Amino acid sequence: MPEWKALVRERMGSLGLAPLQEEAIVTELASHLEDVYEEACAQGLCKTEAIERSLAQVADWHSLLRKIQRAKHKEETMMNRRTKTLWLPGLISLTAAMVFLTISELVSLQPRFLAPGFFAAVHTSTTSTNLPLVAYLPWLGLLPFCGAAGAFLSRRAGGQRPARLAAGLFPWIALFSLVVFLTLIGQIVPFKHEWFGFVTELLLVSVPPAIALLFGVIPFLKEARPAALPSSRS
Amino acid sequence: MTKRVRSKIARGSAEVAILMLLAEQPLYGFEIAKRIEERTKGALSFTLASLYPMLYELEKRGWVHGRWEANQAGRDRRYYGLTPAGKKGLVPLRREWKVFFRALDRLAGVVHA
Repeated sequence: MPEWKALVRERMGSLGLAPLQEEAIVTELASHLEDVYEEACAQGLCKTEAIERSLAQVADWHSLLRKIQRAKHKEETMMNRRTKTLWLPGLISLTAAMVFLTISELVSLQPRFLAPGFFAAVHTSTTSTNLPLVAYLPWLGLLPFCGAAGAFLSRRAGGQRPARLAAGLFPWIALFSLVVFLTLIGQIVPFKHEWFGFVTELLLVSVPPAIALLFGVIPFLKEARPAALPSSRS
Repeated sequence: MTKRVRSKIARGSAEVAILMLLAEQPLYGFEIAKRIEERTKGALSFTLASLYPMLYELEKRGWVHGRWEANQAGRDRRYYGLTPAGKKGLVPLRREWKVFFRALDRLAGVVHA
């Protein structure tokens, strides 16, 4: 009987993986060849024929090597997968939200868009930071698109529902975390809270953006219909 | 013996075939290939070159998990079993394939009518 492990090593070459991992793969493939060989012998084939049958299991060792290498680069791919399904869509969603916020601020606060006296009426001092509603409301209107972009990109990359939700709501998560962080800092560095203003700010920063983003995310929480499969009407 | 399914169709269904088999019990590579060949009466068959890259892909995806164990003959073999993620992933796959084959069935019905 041939030395199957040596044969696999010789024909396939190095996988370029960690020695233990490579050894495990070679052992596994060699044991498969051994099983095929023994089955062939048990069926009454002579040794030469049994060896031929075993070797026929692999037509192109180089192609097998490449396929295994592709499949075994686990860490890199796992990281890529998380990056593709969560971090990248989330960052795109966040960037879009921030860009829209900047644009809303720049455009909405231009005097030509505001009737005389309008700004004073709308620019209500709702919070301690004087967040202008005139910029905030258009931004809220644009947030569903940011949420949709994050969730869509995550779904396209094969993200599961939680990843799609997190990617779509990423701007809200980031914003809310920032507010919580600043609040904690506020607890450490003593300053006078105007509690009404603070609660209003917290609500404005947390609830409406989350709802707006969710509007965009919800359509992409459904599984996409596989393109290759026809729909069933039965 | 049933005619062998053409390779392109077989490739698409191979993953589902492996997962469905592993949903029943953990098996090692050679056993997987044998069982699939037996159950499909030779319509689907795997060689070492087609089976292991697919098993490793499924393992990377976290759908199957391999561990070394002694087989009945006392030899160490790498047994593959479905992970919870694999069980969860198999449900829509089964459904999609059912829809696909039902559609083909209907199409064949029209053709033969």
